[in-house]
Amino acid sequence: MGTLTIMVVVALFLAAIVLGGYNKNFLERVKGSTVWDWMTTVDHKKIGIMYFMSGIVFFLIGGLEAILIRLQLMVPANDLFVGDIYNQILTMHGTTMIFLAAMPLLFGLMNVIVPLQIGARDVAFPFLNSLGFWFFTAGGIILNLSWFFGGAPDAGWTSYVSLALNEYSPGPGVDYYVLGLQISGIGSLISGINFLATIINMRTPGMTLLRMPLFTWTTFVASALLLFAMPALTVGLLLLMFDRLFGANFFDYTMGGSSVLWEHLFWIFGHPEVYIVILPAFGILSEIISTFSKKRLFGYTSMVFATVLIGFLGFMVWVHHMFTVGLGPVSNSIFAVATMAIGVPTGIKVFNWLFTMWGGEIRFTTAMLWAVGFIPTFVVGGMTGVMLAVPPADFQYHDSYFVVAHFHYVLVGGTVFGIFAAAFYWWPKMFGKMLHEGLGKFQFWTFFIGFHLTFFPQHFLGLFGMPRRVFTYQANVGLESINMLSTIGVIGMTLGTLAFGINIYRSLFIDKTKAPADPWNGRTLEWAISSPPPEYNFAQLPLVRGYDALWVEKEAGKKELTPAEPLGSIHMPSSSYLPLVMAIGVFISGMGFIARGDYSMGIFGLIILGIAMFMRSFEVDHGYHIEPEEIEKDKGVDA
Amino acid sequence: MTEEQQNSSPQQEESHKPDSTMKHIVSFAAMIVLTVAAFYIVMEDVVEPNMILPLLLFFASIQVVLQLFTFMHLNQKGTAYYTIFIFTGVIIAVVSAVGIILM
Repeated sequence: MGTLTIMVVVALFLAAIVLGGYNKNFLERVKGSTVWDWMTTVDHKKIGIMYFMSGIVFFLIGGLEAILIRLQLMVPANDLFVGDIYNQILTMHGTTMIFLAAMPLLFGLMNVIVPLQIGARDVAFPFLNSLGFWFFTAGGIILNLSWFFGGAPDAGWTSYVSLALNEYSPGPGVDYYVLGLQISGIGSLISGINFLATIINMRTPGMTLLRMPLFTWTTFVASALLLFAMPALTVGLLLLMFDRLFGANFFDYTMGGSSVLWEHLFWIFGHPEVYIVILPAFGILSEIISTFSKKRLFGYTSMVFATVLIGFLGFMVWVHHMFTVGLGPVSNSIFAVATMAIGVPTGIKVFNWLFTMWGGEIRFTTAMLWAVGFIPTFVVGGMTGVMLAVPPADFQYHDSYFVVAHFHYVLVGGTVFGIFAAAFYWWPKMFGKMLHEGLGKFQFWTFFIGFHLTFFPQHFLGLFGMPRRVFTYQANVGLESINMLSTIGVIGMTLGTLAFGINIYRSLFIDKTKAPADPWNGRTLEWAISSPPPEYNFAQLPLVRGYDALWVEKEAGKKELTPAEPLGSIHMPSSSYLPLVMAIGVFISGMGFIARGDYSMGIFGLIILGIAMFMRSFEVDHGYHIEPEEIEKDKGVDA
Repeated sequence: MTEEQQNSSPQQEESHKPDSTMKHIVSFAAMIVLTVAAFYIVMEDVVEPNMILPLLLFFASIQVVLQLFTFMHLNQKGTAYYTIFIFTGVIIAVVSAVGIILM
């Protein structure tokens, strides 16, 4: 409680210093400040930007951890990070990259772009959108605070029991994992439900399901996966929390529990999770390849079908992570066949991208370079995936660097390349500025070459017998030169990421030129409005007359979209500080439970959450309206 | 959203209002009773041990029906999306649960 009071007082002091003293106008000035505006916003574009930016921060943290891992493995018998600290870096690298980097970066893009693509003024539940973001942030901060208070989780990103139980992982490390992920997981689930409701209900007139852009489709399927997969993780983490904090025995086999149960629960969530992060990337690349080939996406309906099929099959394959557990040849075979079946819709997608480019008027912008670089990289990752899906072979590959190489090819080559492509493609729509193309191309080539130099040799490390997750290896067994190569490749990826950082700084703070509304000769609705879009997105909801809605209008020789409604006053949701209060409540609660022993802080945090929920339930707030005169005024400024 | 809903179905709201409020309160009460009953039969030895699990599942299934029809309005029109999602969820849950139990 003392710490909390001190933090509140410090926060008040800081606010007072920044805003010029504490006097009777203090509260008004706080409410007028930009920081307060962003903290309480329910605007999907601002929340999207916050998601994206926090994703970049966590991406940098996770990347730093990756550099440390490669430094330790650069030479044999190295003693830079030994034992516990190496395990912590490794665990946090995996957890951060999956849960705190890939997901928020994609959520950020979804938040900004999906409502624009379907012609909506906001997401279905703006309040929940903000709540999801702040829960995610609370969880992410809890996870990373572990470095400073008691040690980071060190049981691997999968946190397998019995290793993750109190007996083998004493100390608060795994508690941070359990509670941090639980809280950020609730945030992700909330956001997923919100996207589903948005895409089902908020489409503009004429935007039928089979006219939706592919990024919207993949967001829809990925959100459905979140909806069905997250509960498995929630249950697993809840049981693990009871085991660790309250002395239950769900996973302790000496007390009648089952350690395999955790693996099942984790992978029932974990496998759909990898599709949650790859499917939106597929959508992004479909948009980019179609735009920069100046062609309609080849096989649109088959793309949609393949996306839904991948999503559905994604739930039927989790045991392929557990072939060596010993579940027997029958289950292994069934899941092997199901796993290989996923190769079919994925192959459909790859060929559709190639055929989209075939005969197209291709422009090699930075976004397109990432998309083109993605295809062969992802195919390599997919092919090693099919190799791993064969159980007898998997017994050889399991827990070796071959697996590490495989999933970095799909996660970096797929998701990260997709995110970078999307960053260059949609940056003008998000920020109203362009990223520098030259720097972007430098980033692409350094990152692309560095990536392949790092991870391609790791296939061979695995085949030569180097197990994953170990902190060192012996000299003179043929692993030195490959490990050295792998570490050298990191330099390329680091340079690329630094170039991206410089590019962001340049576009936000140095470059003064404004981005045009449609810099890429785009095909979908988001390019029909100014960059960045006004608060209300569309002054009049557009009427959609076909797939590639904007392109249809361009072909018909029109400059603007046909409106579907007369100009009228626009209803907007008012911003709210309650999501932030709720997130602070769960944050305090999470830290309180991690501290163990005395649970008063944990319960205090839950009380804050309860009060905020009560206030939200009985709050009467109908939002506000933007009148047509103001909209006209905005238009005048733009022209 | 909320405003739109209020505007779109005023007659329905008015004609069914006392009825639907009662329905909600009754179902809510029933669900609380069922939840308490579930805890009660586990904590106190009132039924035979091998009857506990079937009884729990029975209580749970009643709760599911109440939840779907009173609070998620599955008895109204335009529920295609709900039905698709519920059935997908059920299929995935069954596959996962059967998988875990059999293996």
